[in-house]
Amino acid sequence: MIPDKFKNDPDYILYQPIIEKGRGAYFLGAALLAVLLWVIYMYSTQLRHGLGVTGLNRPISWGFYIVNFVFFIGISHAGTLISAILRLSKAEWRRPITRIAEITTAIVLAIGGLHPILDLGRPDRMLNLIMYGRLQSPLLWDVTAITCYFTASTVYLFLPMIPDIGKLRDMGVSPHWLYAFLSWGWTGTERQKVILERAMNILMVMVIPIAISVHTVISFIFSMTLQPGWHSTIFGPYFVVGAIFSGIAALLLIMIIFRKAFHLEGYLKEIHFQYLGTLLLIMSLLWFYFTFAEYLTGIYGSQPQEMETIHYKFSGDYWPLFWGMALCNFVIPVVILSYRKFKTITGIFIASTAVIVGMWLERLNIVVPSLANPRLPTPPQVYIPSLVEWALFLGGLTVFALAILLFSKFFPIISVWEIQEGRKEGLAAMNKRVAGYQPDIPPQVED
Amino acid sequence: MVSNHKATERHIFVMQVVSLALIWLFVSAVTWWISTLIVVSIKLHDAPDASVGISIIVIPIFIALAGVLTYVFVGLQRNQVDHTTHREGEPEQ
Repeated sequence: MIPDKFKNDPDYILYQPIIEKGRGAYFLGAALLAVLLWVIYMYSTQLRHGLGVTGLNRPISWGFYIVNFVFFIGISHAGTLISAILRLSKAEWRRPITRIAEITTAIVLAIGGLHPILDLGRPDRMLNLIMYGRLQSPLLWDVTAITCYFTASTVYLFLPMIPDIGKLRDMGVSPHWLYAFLSWGWTGTERQKVILERAMNILMVMVIPIAISVHTVISFIFSMTLQPGWHSTIFGPYFVVGAIFSGIAALLLIMIIFRKAFHLEGYLKEIHFQYLGTLLLIMSLLWFYFTFAEYLTGIYGSQPQEMETIHYKFSGDYWPLFWGMALCNFVIPVVILSYRKFKTITGIFIASTAVIVGMWLERLNIVVPSLANPRLPTPPQVYIPSLVEWALFLGGLTVFALAILLFSKFFPIISVWEIQEGRKEGLAAMNKRVAGYQPDIPPQVED
Repeated sequence: MVSNHKATERHIFVMQVVSLALIWLFVSAVTWWISTLIVVSIKLHDAPDASVGISIIVIPIFIALAGVLTYVFVGLQRNQVDHTTHREGEPEQ
């Protein structure tokens, strides 16, 4: 039973999905669980029969699992990085966005990080990496970088949640023990606020280089090899740009879905979508610039094997994927986001969906056509993913949907205390800041 | 009733301390693992210097993260008031 004083809270709507769990959530949860059970069954066939049940072959030994690994880790840049940059730059419009961004990061990192284990075929062999790992392998750098980013992102998600968890505990929401456990003794004293703010400031600064380094290190598993199409010096920044690009698109999609489902129109306003939409447009142009630079240097170098890979991407077996990528990552978002008339929430939804599909195709274009053209002469092979691989891809998406649904049923999807702080102090702080930017008025020169 | 409430609070506090200890255990394990990898790679002369450099950076980051969590936990515990009677915004006792 929730006391009336809490029901009269102007932001009660943000607690509502936690307190009044509708039947819709249970049905959706059950449907997702059913899909997940089927995915687990499909994975069990891979465990029983090995990687033979996949479409992997020689020389294409990396397929969907590695594509999805890079894709999900890329999406993770949605959250912590964007949230940290917005917090650091004191952008007032960040307040309703940060929590969604941070939870997205934590979930997709966990999903993405598990994909190399799927690719191993035998998950028990993961232990070999821990027991007999060798630092000369970029794969090991990935393990350390992703573990580090996951830990930092989880801490960065948790700390700003403490005041809201404390409020849920005081409201008497069940499970009470969970909120009491996670609130860490928060009572909202001034000293506690100072401590939390100081810790968040430290994390903000730490998280940005960690996030950038993670995707750079992921690019190293490709660029450190002499494989045509991979051995490139700009792969690090290219991957980071692509990650931020897909991250913003994912964030926009999730914001639109929650806005509709939880009736958050009063919090996630048109202006938030306009700002993030502009950021998506900039990233689309930046992505095009990097892609253009990557291929132009390859074509001007004219190394036979490099050219073979490039031609194969442009007009080989996978040409629809390459041109589909260009359409989804550049043409569609630029057309939609450049014109005010199209830059509505529906338009942004279409552009973001296109970018998500396009960035997934980009990861596929990096992995598969390059592996299909090795330096050593091998009989030509085409990679066609099997049902097991499609199932596990669907599994990744299902786990994401289930995890974010569960999260939204236990914690506010928008940071309530930050919203309230913004109402109380945000406008005054912003006015003070803007006044600080203004040039000084020169003293009047007397005639 | 009051003693029951106190006992629950004590249990929760113990769980919180245990979770923090587990975080430190995790950080110590990662530190030990990376240190072992570095020692092996130096002994075998098989890893370029950059590999060792990249791995070394991770250790202080993990320690800093656990340190921040400990700082927050201790800080919040030391500066709390009775949340069953105190409401945010009211002066502290």
